[in-house]
Amino acid sequence: MALLEVRDLVVRFRTHDGTIYAVNGITFDVEAGETLGLVGESGCGKSVTNLAIMRLLPKPAGRIERGRVTLDGVDLIALPESEIREMRGRDVAMIFQDPMTSLNPVLTIEEQMVETIVAHRAATRADARKRAVELLGMVGIPHPETRLRSYPHQFSGGMRQRVMIAMALALEPKLLIADEPTTALDVTIQAQVLELLKDLTARLGTAVILITHDLGVVAGMAERINVMYAGFIVETAPTPDLFARPSHPYTVGLLHSIPRVDAAEGGELVPIEGVPPDQRRAPVGCPFAPRCAWRVEACWADNPPLVPLEPVSRLVATGPGATHQIACHNPPLPDEARTGRPTRPGFVAAPPPGAVIDELAVATPDVEATLVEFPTTDAREERR
Amino acid sequence: MTATATPARRAAPARASRGLWRDALVRLTRNGPALLGMFFIVVFVLAAVLAPVISPYDPIAGSLANRLQAPGTAGHVLGTDLQGRDELTRILYGARISLQVGVISVLMGLAIGGTLGAIAGAFGGAVDNVIMRIVDVLLAIPGILLAIGIVAWLDRGLPQIMLAVGMTNAPIFARILRGSLLALRESDFVVAARSIGATPLRLLLRHMLPNALTSLIVAATLALATAIIDVAGLGFLGLGPPDPRTAEWGTMLTDSTKYLREAPYLIFFPGVAIVISAIGFNLLGDGLRESLDPRLRR
Amino acid sequence: MAKYIVRRILSAIPVLFGLSIVLFSFIHLLPGDPAAALLGQHATPELTAKIRQQLGLDQPLYVQYLQYLTQLLHGDLGKSVINNRPVITDFATRFPGTVELTLAALLFAVGIGIPLGRFAARHTQGWQDGVVTVISLFGISIPIFVLGLTLQYVLSVQLHWLPTSGRLDPRTTIPSVTNFMLIDTLLAGRPDAFVDALRHLILPAIALGSIPLAIITRITRASVLDVNNEDYVRTARAKGLTERRVDDRHIMRNAWLPVVTVIGLQVGGLLAGAVITETVFSWNGVGRWVVEAIQDHDYFVVQSSILIFAFIFLAVNLIVDIGYAYLNPRIRYA
Ligand SMILES: Nc1ncnc2c1ncn2[C@@H]1O[C@H](COP(=O)(O)OP(=O)(O)OP(=O)(O)O)[C@@H](O)[C@H]1O
Ligand code: SF4
Ligand SMILES: [Mg+2]
Repeated sequence: MALLEVRDLVVRFRTHDGTIYAVNGITFDVEAGETLGLVGESGCGKSVTNLAIMRLLPKPAGRIERGRVTLDGVDLIALPESEIREMRGRDVAMIFQDPMTSLNPVLTIEEQMVETIVAHRAATRADARKRAVELLGMVGIPHPETRLRSYPHQFSGGMRQRVMIAMALALEPKLLIADEPTTALDVTIQAQVLELLKDLTARLGTAVILITHDLGVVAGMAERINVMYAGFIVETAPTPDLFARPSHPYTVGLLHSIPRVDAAEGGELVPIEGVPPDQRRAPVGCPFAPRCAWRVEACWADNPPLVPLEPVSRLVATGPGATHQIACHNPPLPDEARTGRPTRPGFVAAPPPGAVIDELAVATPDVEATLVEFPTTDAREERR
Repeated sequence: MTATATPARRAAPARASRGLWRDALVRLTRNGPALLGMFFIVVFVLAAVLAPVISPYDPIAGSLANRLQAPGTAGHVLGTDLQGRDELTRILYGARISLQVGVISVLMGLAIGGTLGAIAGAFGGAVDNVIMRIVDVLLAIPGILLAIGIVAWLDRGLPQIMLAVGMTNAPIFARILRGSLLALRESDFVVAARSIGATPLRLLLRHMLPNALTSLIVAATLALATAIIDVAGLGFLGLGPPDPRTAEWGTMLTDSTKYLREAPYLIFFPGVAIVISAIGFNLLGDGLRESLDPRLRR
Repeated sequence: MAKYIVRRILSAIPVLFGLSIVLFSFIHLLPGDPAAALLGQHATPELTAKIRQQLGLDQPLYVQYLQYLTQLLHGDLGKSVINNRPVITDFATRFPGTVELTLAALLFAVGIGIPLGRFAARHTQGWQDGVVTVISLFGISIPIFVLGLTLQYVLSVQLHWLPTSGRLDPRTTIPSVTNFMLIDTLLAGRPDAFVDALRHLILPAIALGSIPLAIITRITRASVLDVNNEDYVRTARAKGLTERRVDDRHIMRNAWLPVVTVIGLQVGGLLAGAVITETVFSWNGVGRWVVEAIQDHDYFVVQSSILIFAFIFLAVNLIVDIGYAYLNPRIRYA
């Protein structure tokens, strides 16, 4: 049994504009002490997934519609509010993206740290204060005794994030969820904060879910990576595997859309075209299909399940030997992954079922000729 | 809505102003309270416009023989007042005064405050500073007290009342317009428009005003509610229309206070009339605010 | 912080200055002959001459203004045309009545508005929020005099629960010491009269406080909802604090800030509203005095009352801003 088990988690928001399908049935595990990276474009459901785990979805719009989440075998979703509250901060802690807004501006650091400790431990305020000083020292804040009496606005962004880390680790939780902990920081500070996070969690044996859009960050921090797209996990693999053999078109796109230091093999920098799907619609087919160069006809109708890339006798969910899995009908070949586009001779992305004519009309001024030629793939290939 | 539509939260700010207005209108027609408000306003306006058509009675002349008839008396649904005039008729004619004075005073406030705010916001700097200090002075004099002072100073009369009530609103409009203009001056799309060589006047008219307009429309609608209350308040204090016989809701209330025991309905009906019209404009104003700025909605 | 206070005080000075000019114009730019206009129907040649001289109307305007300003700075607000007493004297005896009424109304508005706003914010999805919204809609839509007269009719005339008007039963006499009825009755050792004074205060305070109540309710609700969406509130919840603690410490400590500002702004409305409330309830205060003065064309009284009310409004908001700064460490330690 893994430390954290998420099974078929579905989260939706009910808003004035209708239902938002934020997370659409995702399954993953986190082992004790392991660091899992969660990457994907903005809006793909990374934060929502983790807020759901903490049962902190914005009320009343956000709802867990389906699924199971267990921590050490305890079902978090079924837990009464008072008990999940006791687990928050003690068993699972969270760090947020923006250190400027994540600390309460009208309370001193001391008040905010002490209240965390006394909320879970039968500690006196003096003890809690002593522990807070110790924690601030641990995260590298100079003069912790005096700094404790400061207000958040008297700290720099990097220092605030250190405070957040200190606060999150105050009770030595089993799992730390870090939601883009460094996105808001300067690049140099980013590295320091990440180093600190890595160091402390390793020392305390804390498992980490690290959310980021930055593949560079996860590459250095995470042992394993889940790639999310439109509320689905589309690829999961140990970090070295994912970088060595990205196998979902979206992952391929992601890797080609960032400048890489190790881009020795001539992979060019190409952004992923198009935008993520409108999550106000129930997903049909593969969510990546409209943007995918590898799509085949089945992609429009069938959403591929997450399955092992290569046949395995036993699925490994966690750790460095975890099974590389993808959700794709037509995975890019290793060569194609390297170049970033399909290279199989004669292959053409399947047009959307209803919008065929429209798309062609837009694609070429020579509409009539196109319509005549339509069924033959070769003619269309020439136009590309 | 296509499968690749940009998620709503990424939508650019009010780029196409026509789209903004149309969206707002659609949202407004789906806003129950705002519709109720509009219904009240329609009733209020119809009462004002159709008063002579609806009622066969004279709002000014009555017969003392007929005085203090209870509501429900044949021919006098809402009874008659101290002078024997039909109460319903007076309330209908009172709507005329309220509507007329309310609308004109808000327009005057808009003209005065709008000019001050536009100048301050468009020029900034020292001009802005001087104008805003004037606005501060006006704001420091509490609402109806300013109106009382103006009516006391300029003497009683409908134009004076309009100006007085308008002046209480003017600083509010000035602040709103200036605030939006200053914010807009710095906003991306105005900077962009300026960088492609749009002239200042064109910028003001095409880009800045339409945006500032949404806040002004909301404020003006809400101001109509206060204006109606303030006009009645002046009337209640004896600073209403110079002819004391005029059918004006506030004046009607003052006349009846001494007969609270005998004829409470003479308080009740004009009171309800004021409250309903104020509620109408308040509901519509809130509805407009929500429709024009959907982020505010909860 | 000290710097902030000084700056804030200095910023009030130009406003006071502008105010004095406006009010100076109020008397000196009266249409027609100011002296005659001042006297209205009381105008006699002697009186007119006296007023002219009193006002120094023969002097150039700027001299007149400087004179006015000097008098103001010496606390001289002119004399009542009616009884020839210094305005400041009558003002002093009537002002406590207005303060008593205004404070009671403010207490009512804050004491009910804040809990009501929090309550509504906590139940945005339920019917409770709807009820509170309707209450505050009525609050801002009912004029003071309509509500006042209605309360009078229902609670006094019909039910005899509370007295109709005045500050004290007319048969009771209490020596005037502070002119605060609640204090004077206690000083006189008359708890029965104290209770009576309190009972007289209830209806006017409700009538006067209804608009601020509605506004404070709305702003509290909006502010709590706003803060509830803040990242630091999510942090507080993620730390496993009880909902109660999140509410009291993390939400309210911040939600207070805009509410405090709005409370300060209500003081202006309360003072203005006192004019109407005192008229409805025959309450012996500055407001009723102003209305009488207008009818009597006693312009110095009107002018001075406006000046003093505006001054109080500015002073209260100054205090509120300082309180705000104190509640907000971002300013306190700036
Ligand atoms: N409070 C909310 N109300 C309605 N929809 C929401 C809310 N919060 C998130 N969503 C929707 O849920 C989806 C997932 O959002 P989420 O915040 O998890 O994205 P993310 O992957 O964390 O993105 P980012 O990188 O920008 O943080 C989005 O489509 C978003 O619009
Ligand atoms: S090939 Fe098909 S299934 Fe795979 S990502 Fe592209 S569209 Fe989705
Ligand atoms: Mg996020």
